[in-house]
Amino acid sequence: MIEIYLRLVDKILTPVILLIAIFLFLRGHDLPGGGFIAGLVAASAIELTILARGTQATRDRYGPLAVPLAGAGLTIAVGAALLGMYNGGFFRSIWLEFYVGEEKLKLGTPQLFDLGVMLVVIGMAITYLLRLGEAAEAAVAQQSRLSSQTKEPHR
Amino acid sequence: MPALAFSLVILFTFAPILWLLKPHRSPSFAWLAVLPPAVITAWQALQLPAVAQGNFIAERYVWAPTLGLELALRLDGLALFFGLIITGVGACIAFYTAYYFEGDPRQGFFYLVLYGFMASMLGLVWADDLLTLFVFWEGTSITSYLLIAFKSDYKGATEGARRALIVTTAGGLAMLAGMVLLGLHVGSFHISEILAAPDIAAASITPIALVLIFLGAFTKSAQFPFQFWLPGAMAAPTPASAYLHSATMVKAGVFLLARLHPAFSELPLWFWTLFLVGGFTMVLGGVSAIRYTDMKALLAYATVAVLGTLVMLLAFREEYAYEAFVVTVLAHALYKAPLFLSTGIVDHAMGTRDLRRLANLARIMPLVAVTVVLAALSMSGVIPTMGFLAKELMLEQGFQRIEHGDGLVGGLMYAASTLAALFMAGAIFTLTWEAFFRRQPDEQPAHLHHAPSLGFVAPALLLTLLGTLGAFFTGAYENLLFAPTIAAISGEPISLKLKLWHGLTPVFLTSLAVLALGIGIFALRNRVRQAFARVPEKFSSLAVYDATVEAIYHFAYRLTTVIQGSPMAPQVSVTLLAGVAVMVYALFFPSPRTSVLLDSLEIPSLAEWLIFALAILGALATVRARSRLSAIISLGVVGITVTLFFIVFGAPDLALTQLLIEVLTVILLVLVFFRVRPDPFVEIDKRRAFRIFVAIAMGFFGFTVVMVNHFAQIGESISPYFLENSSSLGKGTNVVNVILVDFRGYDTLGEITVLGLAALGGYALLRSPQIHKLRRRIVAARSASEDGAHPVSSIKQEAAEMGHD
Repeated sequence: MIEIYLRLVDKILTPVILLIAIFLFLRGHDLPGGGFIAGLVAASAIELTILARGTQATRDRYGPLAVPLAGAGLTIAVGAALLGMYNGGFFRSIWLEFYVGEEKLKLGTPQLFDLGVMLVVIGMAITYLLRLGEAAEAAVAQQSRLSSQTKEPHR
Repeated sequence: MPALAFSLVILFTFAPILWLLKPHRSPSFAWLAVLPPAVITAWQALQLPAVAQGNFIAERYVWAPTLGLELALRLDGLALFFGLIITGVGACIAFYTAYYFEGDPRQGFFYLVLYGFMASMLGLVWADDLLTLFVFWEGTSITSYLLIAFKSDYKGATEGARRALIVTTAGGLAMLAGMVLLGLHVGSFHISEILAAPDIAAASITPIALVLIFLGAFTKSAQFPFQFWLPGAMAAPTPASAYLHSATMVKAGVFLLARLHPAFSELPLWFWTLFLVGGFTMVLGGVSAIRYTDMKALLAYATVAVLGTLVMLLAFREEYAYEAFVVTVLAHALYKAPLFLSTGIVDHAMGTRDLRRLANLARIMPLVAVTVVLAALSMSGVIPTMGFLAKELMLEQGFQRIEHGDGLVGGLMYAASTLAALFMAGAIFTLTWEAFFRRQPDEQPAHLHHAPSLGFVAPALLLTLLGTLGAFFTGAYENLLFAPTIAAISGEPISLKLKLWHGLTPVFLTSLAVLALGIGIFALRNRVRQAFARVPEKFSSLAVYDATVEAIYHFAYRLTTVIQGSPMAPQVSVTLLAGVAVMVYALFFPSPRTSVLLDSLEIPSLAEWLIFALAILGALATVRARSRLSAIISLGVVGITVTLFFIVFGAPDLALTQLLIEVLTVILLVLVFFRVRPDPFVEIDKRRAFRIFVAIAMGFFGFTVVMVNHFAQIGESISPYFLENSSSLGKGTNVVNVILVDFRGYDTLGEITVLGLAALGGYALLRSPQIHKLRRRIVAARSASEDGAHPVSSIKQEAAEMGHD
């Protein structure tokens, strides 16, 4: 029964959580948030999916993304640092500022770097959450087998 | 024009392009693949006259100016000489590869790695900065690992590759330490500045730095006692072997020694180390080559011998040694590569390269036979080849030493050179005769799969012809190619006059005697092989290496079982006690500059007292909990109170992070433990006192260290700098984020690299076959129990096995 509720929650909340992650990421440079936090928020969405649907379904959905995400994140982070070479050295920041209507927007290589951080965190989180979830399921399966094998009641 | 960097970029970018083009689908691909190295070779050849005049090309690209890191390239005589060999032979190998991997889908990937290797090698010889050199050096280690392990389904390949990687990178690390010592002493990492530094040879750090650098060079160039990885590296596909062992990888160590020669060669340490190690390696490799019936293994040991020769020659500071060095490098590249390539052709055509099963190939593949015969003549030093010239010069060096009264060094050198040379001659005569000319093989003969096409043979033939003709026309290029190289090695300009024919000198007579004895060894080849077969294997350095690795594994296993083999609680105790030990050390042996400022103690506010109380309550509840679940939840309470602290002190980012981590771990732990039926949560009273002690020690010293760190400040705080400059320099008002992604971006990069590797590790763990097996069993067990049948009974056994592994 719990899982049915959780599935509903998962269906509604996961997109919301992911949106919050994006929101936290975007405002990160000026207000609390940033790539690391956004990555953790996204990871919590994945954990919700694991709780609701089990590891197998989650692995089917997110599993193939894990290592590519971590790899892409590292590549983006290094790429952002490399872009700084254009401005005089590795990791020198470059900022672009422009206006959309009245709003001043800015984009810079540190934010790109932050994006890399977020992707690495998500990739790492997927790998380990799934791994731990599977370990838990394995333990459950083993225990149910043991209890059905031994006739005597569990102490 | 930044031609040097441009060349490297071309090679590096061409590599993935070749891969993406799926070359195995188009037969005429060889011509495209050969283009980049051929163009770079041509460009380098055009630089020869200028470099021969004493000019050089230097390029510098600043990488991180505040750290003094840059990419520094410099094309002088030595760099050009090696660069020409690397790209020249590389172009032939690229052409050959198109035929070797014809129609094989792995061809593209092979090109990718091959070009990566070529670019690393080229960068290595062009480098004018020790750190640049090191980066390219490690680049060759990694790409050569991929090349050797290319046939990854074959166990010998992965083992040989791992061995090569471990040995060469271990040496590389030692070398890095030596380079840093040198660089810090001189105050610059530029090779040209280090070589020009006055009194560098007499500096106190020089012996240590040199020994460390020797370790790097000797491991890379397979000198005794590190020579064992090279024959194991023969598991590589033949084009890779031909490239790595004739012209490139193993020459890197020799190149480094040649590079450092002008500054350090006057030291006795330099002379004796290189002379003895190189000489011994030469004899060892030369004598043991004939033992092997695998054509590639035979050639591998001959390569070890040549590397020993080169190292030994670099010990000297005399003209004959320099001449012998450059001629040997060129001659070796031009005969060893064709020999390897021909071996690959034979392997391809006959399905084997074991001499015992081969015979009479000259009839089937006459062009290959011509190639091998010409190359073999050069290798054995028959007049009038480049190999003959090289050997003649080397013997002349020994002879000169004897004549000038240094009978020990000259005599040793003379004896070692002749011994190695006559065995090498015997070995290569054996190979040529048995594979190509004798009528009947020893064992069941191999059959021809398909005869090699002309294009397959062409690169090998071209290189051999160059080597053969080159010996006659040394006058045409000796002052263009050899003289600038020697000038770079010796540090002084030089003019050359090489001659093939010196008249009936003692050296020439020795050469003749070596050939005669070589033929004698060839005649007695079966006796010699039998004699070798009786030498026990356990004295080889390979056995020593394997035993060492085995011992390390064993030690790690034992240590892990002691520290981590027990239940969770003792493991945690070990970790925490180690932490306590570190903190006790930090408290009682502080650095002298700390000054304790206890005056800034503030009285906590009411809110803070409340949070304190909550945290303590949570901790107590955790300790007193009667079930795992409640322990986890109360532990979560402790974490959340820490979050509250962060909020009270105005650190929303930390609070957010802490909160998220706390929530994730609590849910995760609940996920794990909620589903598992609780084990009886028994108190183990036996160790209770000990655990309380560990907990209190950790808490007390942790608290003290934090307090001391807070109040004892060294120097000025850097926080105000971040606060002031965050929005002006970092363009952001969230200081924490600006520090993370901008001010201290290097730290973050390091951290996410660790995270990424952790993800990769978890992925690899998940992919491991044992886990897959276990997962399948779980699914099977679950469906079985749902069906009401008895579940598969071996899961526990499986899990137990996994625990053991």
